[in-house]
Amino acid sequence: MRELAAIAVFALAVAAVPAFVTSGYALNVVIMTLYAALLGQAWNILGGFGGQFSFGHAVFFGTGAYAMAVLQVKFGWNAWAALPAALALGGAMGALIGALSFRYGLRGSYFALVTLAFAEVFRILANTFDFTGAGVGLMVPLAATAARMQFASPAGYLYLILGFVVAGFVVSWWLKHSRYGAWLQAVRDNEESAAALGVDVFGVKLRAIVISGVLMAAGGAFYVQYLHYIDPHIAYGLGASVEALLAPIVGGMGTVWGPLLGAALLHALGETTRNLMGDAPGINLAAYGVVLVLMVSFMPRGVMGLFQARGAARGSTHA
Amino acid sequence: MTQPKRSTRRRFLRHSTALAAGAGVLGFPAIVRAQSGPIKVGVLHPVTGFLAYSGNLSRLGARIAIDEINAAGGIKALGGAKIEAVLGDAQSKPEVGVAEVEKMNQGGVSAIVGAYASAICLATTQAAAKYNIPHVVDVGVADQIVERGLKNTFRFAPGYKVVSQEAINYFHIMNTLAGKPARTIMIIHEESLFGTGTANLLSRELPGLGYEVKEVIKHANPTRDFNNIVLRIKAVNPDIVIPANYYNEYALLLRTMKQQNVQPKAIFSVLGGAASSFKFVKEFPDVANGVIDVNHWYNPKDKRALALRKKVEGMKEFFTYEVFLNYQCVHLLADAIERAKSRDRDAIVNALASSTWSGHFMPYGPTQFVNGQNQGARPLVLQVLQNDIKVILPNTYAQTEPVFPWKA
Repeated sequence: MRELAAIAVFALAVAAVPAFVTSGYALNVVIMTLYAALLGQAWNILGGFGGQFSFGHAVFFGTGAYAMAVLQVKFGWNAWAALPAALALGGAMGALIGALSFRYGLRGSYFALVTLAFAEVFRILANTFDFTGAGVGLMVPLAATAARMQFASPAGYLYLILGFVVAGFVVSWWLKHSRYGAWLQAVRDNEESAAALGVDVFGVKLRAIVISGVLMAAGGAFYVQYLHYIDPHIAYGLGASVEALLAPIVGGMGTVWGPLLGAALLHALGETTRNLMGDAPGINLAAYGVVLVLMVSFMPRGVMGLFQARGAARGSTHA
Repeated sequence: MTQPKRSTRRRFLRHSTALAAGAGVLGFPAIVRAQSGPIKVGVLHPVTGFLAYSGNLSRLGARIAIDEINAAGGIKALGGAKIEAVLGDAQSKPEVGVAEVEKMNQGGVSAIVGAYASAICLATTQAAAKYNIPHVVDVGVADQIVERGLKNTFRFAPGYKVVSQEAINYFHIMNTLAGKPARTIMIIHEESLFGTGTANLLSRELPGLGYEVKEVIKHANPTRDFNNIVLRIKAVNPDIVIPANYYNEYALLLRTMKQQNVQPKAIFSVLGGAASSFKFVKEFPDVANGVIDVNHWYNPKDKRALALRKKVEGMKEFFTYEVFLNYQCVHLLADAIERAKSRDRDAIVNALASSTWSGHFMPYGPTQFVNGQNQGARPLVLQVLQNDIKVILPNTYAQTEPVFPWKA
């Protein structure tokens, strides 16, 4: 319950940000951090809680993004009506990929490669079909009105992405505390033992990938509404997949707060290196890379791992 | 267990103070749009990532122009105020471009020049529009950039519709003058916005003039093996091959054609990534010779262009369209600031909208912006001849006659 309260405090605190911060730059940083956190949460459900490492989460991201864009541009849907459809399609994509790969017992690097391959296949399909705009991509017409999920002020986008992130938090919290979450973590820790104890391994993993797909699709839908343009490379390229797994790996996999912490750290690091070394092209990225390598090497359990270790040490001292 | 449990409230207060301080640093840097001192201009390009080569050349062009303007006494209408470049890196990603625009707005830029790639320009122009920051688009050939009614967006160079249309007209003229040796065409294009858009337009328009588009082949970015595509060209045996792709793929396609001894009557490219590049001509002279391209180009009879070319080559860089378009865009902007007599964004937007600037070396005539597009902007037809790039059409700018059909 304390964790739920913390989530509520976090949501209220972030919701209050636009009241105090007027700078578009700062709000954009907050929005993009929350966006990275959302992608991270989506990945974390399957990768962190479920132990199924995906290298192709872009497939869900792209599906959400394209659903949002195609329904609006080609079918004239309102963005608010398109959103549930985009989320459902993201989930359906999860069910499809999950059913195909888990049915055949793909795990570890095989599962990672299959997800990567699916993302690539969809990138090529999006590049080919006319209804996705093929290589030209799709552009959502500008209309800065909340009725079309476009906002004149960054605060609107902040509330939208915050809504998704809070949903991600609640799902993560539920995974940590529910029977289903226990099954999922049991599958992660030892699939055979879980199966021997009567856990429906296939069903558990399938549900995880569907939830993960829905959240990732929300990220894609947000991208389209925020930047109004999508093409096959942005939607199904490696970028989105890597962004999704980076935040939880840095922050701490299989934890509720890890993805947000990772996203915040990565953004802080990215902005700092960019601001400090702006004029020499690439130096900031090199610095970013070095810090990332150090973090992953010396904090294999992510930043949350440090807190947990401290907590454990404190616990043992006082026990 | 005698120790009290960690004081969550105290910890919370400590953390929230830190957070608030952080928010303060991020949130309230005074928006410095000073009324004196240098005029800040955002120079925003993808200088890292897969577009880094073009992005760095773009940045170079803009910086040369800024240095020249400052050396010549700055903006005279503002008491010789200097232009200060606020450099930005879009990292070849639209969302990073947007973040840079936000940062530049915070930093108080009066205008932005950039951002090379169409997908990035779409995002940055829109982000700049929120603050009415005048955004001069340097290259970004997608026409949607200037079709969305953004009042702050101005494109000096032509979009791909104009370029493709002109390419079709010039090709038809050239072919007719040569006695119509070419009838069949094959288009090889890259998969993104620019290649696909160009290919669609060409394959729609060319049949109307009596040409048969035998096949349109799309390839990915990057593609490192063109053997199959060239085998296909060999099998179809078109009179003309039209490539629309970026530098590496363009160069590889032509090299593979050479290796497999495929020689159509002309390689006629539209916005060809390598054809109008001195780098390509220098690195692969035997492959480049004879190639025709319709592209952004300067008036070859204008001494200022030749002087700039010499200067850029003196810096051991190639004089590409990225360089001279950005150079000109900064000068266009400087002219607008001069006439606006103000560093105010609204005033500069108005000055750009009413711009009739003719102090450039492009074949455009005085600038005239309608919905943000410079109406006179057009490409020239170029051919690589004797290891140099020559203008062959239209006659007003031509340095030599076209060699068509090409005999290797």
